[in-house]
Amino acid sequence: MKGRYADENLKWIAPLILLVILLPFLLRGATFSYRYYLYVLNIAGIYTILAVGLDVLSGYTGLVSLGHAGFLAIGAYTSAILVDQAGVPFGLSLIITPLITGLFGIVVGFPALRISGMYLGLTTMGFGFIVRRLIIALRTWTEGSAGLEVTKPLLFGFTFNSDWDNYFLVYTFVILVIVSIRRVMKSKVGRALMAIRDSEHAAQAAGVNLTRYKLFAFFLSAVLAGLAGVLFAHTMRFISTDHFDILLSIYFIIMVLVGGVGTVYGAVVGTLFIVLLDFLAIPIFKDWLGSFVAVEVADIQSLIFGLIMFLFIIFQPMGLYGMWLKMRIYWKLFPFNPKKRFT
Amino acid sequence: MTDTLGGLTQEVVSGVALGCIYALIALGFTLIYKATEVVNFAQGELMMVGAYVNFFIVTALLDIPLLNGAMGFLLAFAGAVAFAFLFGTFLDLIINRPLKDEPVFSVIMATISMAIILRAVMALIAGPMTRLPVSPFGSGVVKIGGIVISVHDLFIISSAVALVCGFYFFFNRTKWGIAMKATSEDPMAASLVGIPVKKVYRNVWIFSMVVATVGGVLLAPKTLLDTNIGFLGLKAFPAAVLGGFGSIPGAIVGGVILGVIETVSMGTLSFHFPWVKEINDIIVWIVLIAVLMIRPAGIFGREEIDRV
Repeated sequence: MKGRYADENLKWIAPLILLVILLPFLLRGATFSYRYYLYVLNIAGIYTILAVGLDVLSGYTGLVSLGHAGFLAIGAYTSAILVDQAGVPFGLSLIITPLITGLFGIVVGFPALRISGMYLGLTTMGFGFIVRRLIIALRTWTEGSAGLEVTKPLLFGFTFNSDWDNYFLVYTFVILVIVSIRRVMKSKVGRALMAIRDSEHAAQAAGVNLTRYKLFAFFLSAVLAGLAGVLFAHTMRFISTDHFDILLSIYFIIMVLVGGVGTVYGAVVGTLFIVLLDFLAIPIFKDWLGSFVAVEVADIQSLIFGLIMFLFIIFQPMGLYGMWLKMRIYWKLFPFNPKKRFT
Repeated sequence: MTDTLGGLTQEVVSGVALGCIYALIALGFTLIYKATEVVNFAQGELMMVGAYVNFFIVTALLDIPLLNGAMGFLLAFAGAVAFAFLFGTFLDLIINRPLKDEPVFSVIMATISMAIILRAVMALIAGPMTRLPVSPFGSGVVKIGGIVISVHDLFIISSAVALVCGFYFFFNRTKWGIAMKATSEDPMAASLVGIPVKKVYRNVWIFSMVVATVGGVLLAPKTLLDTNIGFLGLKAFPAAVLGGFGSIPGAIVGGVILGVIETVSMGTLSFHFPWVKEINDIIVWIVLIAVLMIRPAGIFGREEIDRV
């Protein structure tokens, strides 16, 4: 009899992990500005953790969130305050902070039991605004809109001093998150969440406890966002409310959509694509366009991201991962493709 | 005591004017929602585009001697509305047509991406500086029993009321309005009884763009014009939800209530309770969440929750 995960091809995981470990060494060999690339990759890794969490909520369970930057902010600020002001060790904060953020997720999840669709999007958007405002209001601990400096991560007596060190810290968690979330999504829990997305009535008729699973989806998503927040605060070493505005929440949605909704790998690919585009291609494009008109980076960024999202929604709703699946099927069937299959 | 009361009345009056702006924006997406069940997150940006077009034409006409007064403004307004017709058709063509059979969620995401595209493109065209459009009604004020209200605010209130009444009449009494309502109930059935569904969709987008332009033209002299006034469109969502999403009288009632709450909390409440100052800019969102928790259908909406 086939085991639960037997249909999955796991052979490539080991080489991929090896590649992730070797990548910084390759980069160092290839270019002098490898530190910058590592910094970009760290951000991509942190956002990947969050995007996978958002995918669990919006992609698998079908509950839209337009306020995920709020969870990221809660994670970042909680950890910064715990470690720097309450003296909690970083290792402990890595466990406590995601759980605290998860509790916030459950609180936000309660309205989701009654409302859905666009109303839920508005509620979570409002949650994002409220978190930002509360951070400014609690200036005793957060220093308001001035921003907060955070100490370096210190784990088992080892201080993560540079982007080089942080890379290994961040990507350990990225790999852990990807592998474990894929497992969770293949299990009973994951199938229950997907059943809720496809039809709440049918799911409940089949014995899925809607309250429990919806709250769990919010909890899990917020836990991942909290974990991303901890890593964000301690590797960027400076956080302020400007980091967590509404546009960031929309960019997270773009990452998930571009990658492919409802697939963990899709969220990963989409995040890498968007973050690399943001840091590597947009400055070049800005310089080119800047020779004609006066532009600001933020405008170019939203223009390109908006266009990408728009084109993907219209022409490729399954995202990059869906494109890959289509190509794979196409080549498998190659000379015998049924006509008009992919229109 | 009388001083507080006078201040409060004054705040309520300016709150009503602010609320009418929310109502105009809310009216725009109520129209689209009524006919297509799509929520247009780009409504605030459409308003910004309309305001900019109007402003550009007014500035272009400034050099022509006869046309630099009220005449020029009327001409610019006509130009902006004409542009709104074209742009509404264009939006229908690129958002509504290709995504006809997609889930509503995709269409909403498409409007969000349209919002950030429009903001970026407008920033590229207009540059980063803030513009100062002049109110066509001058800066005069009217005094009624100690309460000061500017002529411009009076115009905002009256045009909001007029538009809401007009659309209410349109949706309940005219052939096209009823056709739109029928389309929103069931597009298939509507087309079976001979309603040109595609045309209905196009007209809805055009109407909503025209309403947005009117709102933008009226709003711009009040708040100054830059690409961020589109964010005001987001605040119209709580207004629409409070009034009952998809209800036309609800748009203005919700807008006015929210506008009053906002100005009163900024004024009197902040004065008496300093902590209110901290939550001024999020009070509309707190109201939104409260409404969704207590009565998601809002004041005028029908209770339509399918309990599971």
